[in-house]
Amino acid sequence: MKFISMALIGSLGVAPAFADDVNEIMDADSDGTVTVSNVSGSVEVQGWSRSQVEVTGELGSRVEELIFERDDDEILIKVKVPRNSNGGISSDLSISVPVGSSLQVHTVSADITVSDVEGEQELESVSGDIETEAHASDIELGSVSGDVEVQGDNQSIRSRLNTVSGDIESDSLAGEINAESVSGDLSAINGSFERAMLNTVNGEIVYRAALLDGGRMDVETVNGSVDIEYDGDVSARFDIETFNGSIRNCFGPDSVRTSRYAPGRELKFTEGDGSGRVTINTLNGSVRLCKN
Amino acid sequence: MNRNDDNNFDDELMAKAARLSKPVVPKRDLWPEIEQVISAPVVRERSAWNTVWAQAAAVILLVGGSSGMTYMAMSGDGDSTVPIIDAHTQLVFEPVSGSFGSQYFLGPDYQDAHRVVSDNLNERLADLSPEAREEVLANIETIRRAIDEINRALAEDPGNVLLQELLIDTYRDELSVMKKVDSISNNAMYRSDI
Repeated sequence: MKFISMALIGSLGVAPAFADDVNEIMDADSDGTVTVSNVSGSVEVQGWSRSQVEVTGELGSRVEELIFERDDDEILIKVKVPRNSNGGISSDLSISVPVGSSLQVHTVSADITVSDVEGEQELESVSGDIETEAHASDIELGSVSGDVEVQGDNQSIRSRLNTVSGDIESDSLAGEINAESVSGDLSAINGSFERAMLNTVNGEIVYRAALLDGGRMDVETVNGSVDIEYDGDVSARFDIETFNGSIRNCFGPDSVRTSRYAPGRELKFTEGDGSGRVTINTLNGSVRLCKN
Repeated sequence: MNRNDDNNFDDELMAKAARLSKPVVPKRDLWPEIEQVISAPVVRERSAWNTVWAQAAAVILLVGGSSGMTYMAMSGDGDSTVPIIDAHTQLVFEPVSGSFGSQYFLGPDYQDAHRVVSDNLNERLADLSPEAREEVLANIETIRRAIDEINRALAEDPGNVLLQELLIDTYRDELSVMKKVDSISNNAMYRSDI
């Protein structure tokens, strides 16, 4: 049977004159879903061992209410603000959730920080930064102008990371990574992947991780540079092409001109037993390919 | 014409026919990425069906356009089903949304779809802060400059498969970014279920 409870913070229908402290707690499933919406300020989420969700922090003076409700295995935490507001809506929330929770956080300018949450994460912000830890479940992180930073623990998961102008940094992710940005820089440091798709228009792409046997890597940029240094040996067929950039290859073979009349260069070679596949395409970006 | 000439002619004809009958496909399958772009759910309070159908049409046109351009580039032959820009416009190249190296364009349906996505984005941009709005517009301008740059290169080198792939992917990026900004803003501001 569905159980719904609602805690309203602040006076009903009247915006509080001053910022309000909030301190609420509610029972929750150990592997339920927690959804958070906060326009401005910050959202910090941390996993804990209790089957409860706790919200503490401070609400902006013009916030209408904090909606904190449960519907079956879903918990909703929403800072409700007036449709038209000039200031006074910035709210800082610190939220503790069961460690196995799945998490959805949506903000406009509020930064999002997540730690010790092992369920799936979907974190989105228009201009806020996103910083999280990835464990055993898939993650999807998106920001327009904020930066995205994720710390993994080498467990194989599916990661989708995208920004418009923010930078994307990942450390010790594993499994599958799909990172896209227009002008932000991408970097995937440490970790090991069976599939890596990295794509920018102008942003630089840096890869310092392993590509597993049989792995697939697709890199594409229009004007950004590509700097790949594999962690350990790699076995793959490489197919690299640039219209107007340079190609520097530490594996041996040199690139060749694709045409007598155009500046393009291409490089095709096989390393190891060639079980994997790597394709890199750029318009003007330079490509550097090495291993350590 | 003797028998040898006939044989040579036949062999040559068969060889050409064999080449023509070979399907030419892009170097990699573009569909999954593009499908992902249009299939990502956007929960809106108003009806989004027109947008979804328009985007689907745009994607079909993009993929079809990509395959068509690749086929023509590889076969060196024109295709009357693909709209050809008036030859006069090739002299003074004016990049337009959907153009493909000045010789072809992706058609009025693509333009319509692009306009729908742009209109949705413009509506959403009005709700963003000036800083965020400026950031989005600057980056979309970055994508359009890249499209322009690739288009110009492709106009010079119409058979270049790398440029064709980059152009298709950058068109995809443009639609993807516009849709993503719309989706993220909508989720943060207007979803009635959260």
